[in-house]
Amino acid sequence: MNLSKIFRVASREFASTAMTKGFIIGAIVVPAAMVPIIFLVMMLSMNAQPPADNGTIYILDPSSEVTSILEDRLDPEQVRVRWKERFQQISDAAKSMIPQANTPGATSAIDKAADSFQSPNIRVISAGSDTNIDQLKEELRQQVASQSSQTDEIERILGVIEIDADATRKINPEEGFGSYQAFLRPKLNEETVSEIENSVEWSIREKRYENAGIDRNVVSEISRVESRKSQEITADGERGNSSGLSNFAIPFGSMLLLLIATMTGGQYLLTTTIEEKSNRVVEVLLSALSPMELMTGKILGQMGVGLSLLLIYNSVGILALVVFGLGDLMTPGKVILFFVYFILAYFMFASLMAAIGSAVNDLREAQSLMTPVMLMMFVPYIFFMPVIRAPNSLLSTVMSFIPPISPFIMIMRVSSNDPPPMWQVGASIFVNMIGVMIFLWVAAKVFRVGLLMYGKPPNLRTLFKWVRMA
Amino acid sequence: MTNAVSMQGVRKTFGRKVAVEGIDLTIPQGSIYGFIGPNGAGKTTTIRMIMSILFPDSGELSVLGKKSAVESKDQIGYLPEERGIYKKMKVGAFLTHMGRLKGMDSQGLRTTVMEWLDRVELADVAKKKCEELSKGMQQKVQFIASVLHNPDLIILDEPFSGLDPVNMRLLRTLIDEQHSNGKTVIFSTHVMYQAEQICDHIIMIHQGRKVLDDTLDDIRTRFDPRAIHVDPVGGIAQADQIAKIQGISHVTPVEGVLEVVLKEGVDPQEAMKSMLGAMPLNRIEIKRPTLEDVFIEIVTGGHRGQHAQALRAELLAGTTSESEAES
Repeated sequence: MNLSKIFRVASREFASTAMTKGFIIGAIVVPAAMVPIIFLVMMLSMNAQPPADNGTIYILDPSSEVTSILEDRLDPEQVRVRWKERFQQISDAAKSMIPQANTPGATSAIDKAADSFQSPNIRVISAGSDTNIDQLKEELRQQVASQSSQTDEIERILGVIEIDADATRKINPEEGFGSYQAFLRPKLNEETVSEIENSVEWSIREKRYENAGIDRNVVSEISRVESRKSQEITADGERGNSSGLSNFAIPFGSMLLLLIATMTGGQYLLTTTIEEKSNRVVEVLLSALSPMELMTGKILGQMGVGLSLLLIYNSVGILALVVFGLGDLMTPGKVILFFVYFILAYFMFASLMAAIGSAVNDLREAQSLMTPVMLMMFVPYIFFMPVIRAPNSLLSTVMSFIPPISPFIMIMRVSSNDPPPMWQVGASIFVNMIGVMIFLWVAAKVFRVGLLMYGKPPNLRTLFKWVRMA
Repeated sequence: MTNAVSMQGVRKTFGRKVAVEGIDLTIPQGSIYGFIGPNGAGKTTTIRMIMSILFPDSGELSVLGKKSAVESKDQIGYLPEERGIYKKMKVGAFLTHMGRLKGMDSQGLRTTVMEWLDRVELADVAKKKCEELSKGMQQKVQFIASVLHNPDLIILDEPFSGLDPVNMRLLRTLIDEQHSNGKTVIFSTHVMYQAEQICDHIIMIHQGRKVLDDTLDDIRTRFDPRAIHVDPVGGIAQADQIAKIQGISHVTPVEGVLEVVLKEGVDPQEAMKSMLGAMPLNRIEIKRPTLEDVFIEIVTGGHRGQHAQALRAELLAGTTSESEAES
């Protein structure tokens, strides 16, 4: 084994994969740009308000008890105040959740959006007790059908509200209160619809309190219980409840990240191996180094690709946890184990990819051999639920010792709230190391024979023959 | 003089198919050897074994004094039959990469690469991607990759295929130059006249066996011409009259002239004199045996006729298949 040649192959492999525009954009720029992009989209959606729904609502109110309250409630100025208040609450929540939203630029953008906020201008007209609901509905239907844009916007009928006669006062004490029915113009803004519905309901409720002689303020005071975030008492002290995150998101995320990094490196290895073989460059390479040196170099080069992905994503992830004050969920020990398990998983997957890549003539032929490998790689994905729910169950423990899925299962267990005992971590690393050696040994044999074989793509039986032959 | 390559009883099989059977050969340092034989004869397999890309099933092999090329890869330059380059790589970067893989120092490597590119009139393509080059240009780049590291042994598998006459001449000059610098050159071809032009020693492989191993001069002497080409003024109608001359076995018209085959033990000079005396001639010459003739002679065991004709036609087309070359 000539180390400097292996290093040459590895660095070319890394450069030709990771130093390309496609990779940098796909793997680094896009995820890095994700946060500002999400924020930008949020801001845009705040700024890009649909035109306000201005127009008239007819109210058919036999008891005449709701109309005046609703008129008051839907007064344009009042609606505006309420909407602005709600918007302020949402943007405050956003600011506390997304650190980037606290920058002066973002804050001013939010404030600007709040100022330019368009609340609907709604006129409430009582239809009078002699009007038939069907007449009003027909009038709305005709207006919608004619599609003529109203010269006077306020003449536009937004909807018709039919309030039951017993909505605010029980007629039959045995039964409950009546309700209301809204008939609305299609394609109204979602916010307008809920504003209308909420206001009608609020008005009906308001009247009912009044009739029952109850002070509304008392009711809302009584019914409000301020919710405080539950705290966890840990060995190190108090902390915010993070069970959702640490029980689910972190183990699942770690496993997914491991899977992505492993598969990315492995896939690139498959592609470059096939490329070298179909370009016939492989024979030139073999005149300079041995198949084993070539394979080792290629595997190491693509490991660099996977590692750089991991490094980037991991730092982003850890940074996010630290920003949210959950940095203690990822200890240095866990991070080290993460990289150890990556290397183990990657070596096994990459061996298979190198073997397959060397055996076939093009990517299409590789598909049939890839299917079993891919199915195997999805096992940890399929079993993530049972493993995350019970990280120390018999199933989880047994799967922790089956290479090549073991690293993925172990990373879920290690990063969960209920990590496995140290001896299991050590034992799984040991088992995986043996797995790595077996996978590499088999791959080296197939690689050596496969590289110079052209023609009919091999099936599993021929591959097995090559292993015995080499 | 030590041997650059030696093989004793080397045998290689692929499954049931025997690719190379009992090959013995020695190639002294500083010589220029041609491996000839039709496609599928076992040339590439032999070369790959010399390169330690394949390993023989049995037999002894040594390359540049080492047990196998594994230990001396950096002193060997190899241009495989299947040309390989990284399509997306730039020409300069590709050559530098190959040089580094061959153990060259990075210092001065770029200058060496540029010098070589300059010599094959490709100085302006160093920054281009390999896939942008024409096939002939790619081939020249690959040739550079095989000699860049100044190897002692240069193995070229079908170096001329796909080259136009101008580049073919350029490549021949470069090969000659390597040879005159004392390098050992082995090259294989199925186009025998190329071997005649370049080599001083020929190894002929047929169906995995070595059928001939000699210098070009010795081959010409050994396959002593028993044929004379005669172009009588009276045209090929004069065949019967020539056939009557003493010492002549038979006369056949070939490509507008008469091929006169002499009986055993007849001196060609004497026969030519008698023919000149018998009738006026436009032209008379001893037929120089080409490697094709030698090859066909060996394969068919000296029998002429339709089979040999068919074989010759196929050789010219460069597509002699295994089954037809048998019998």
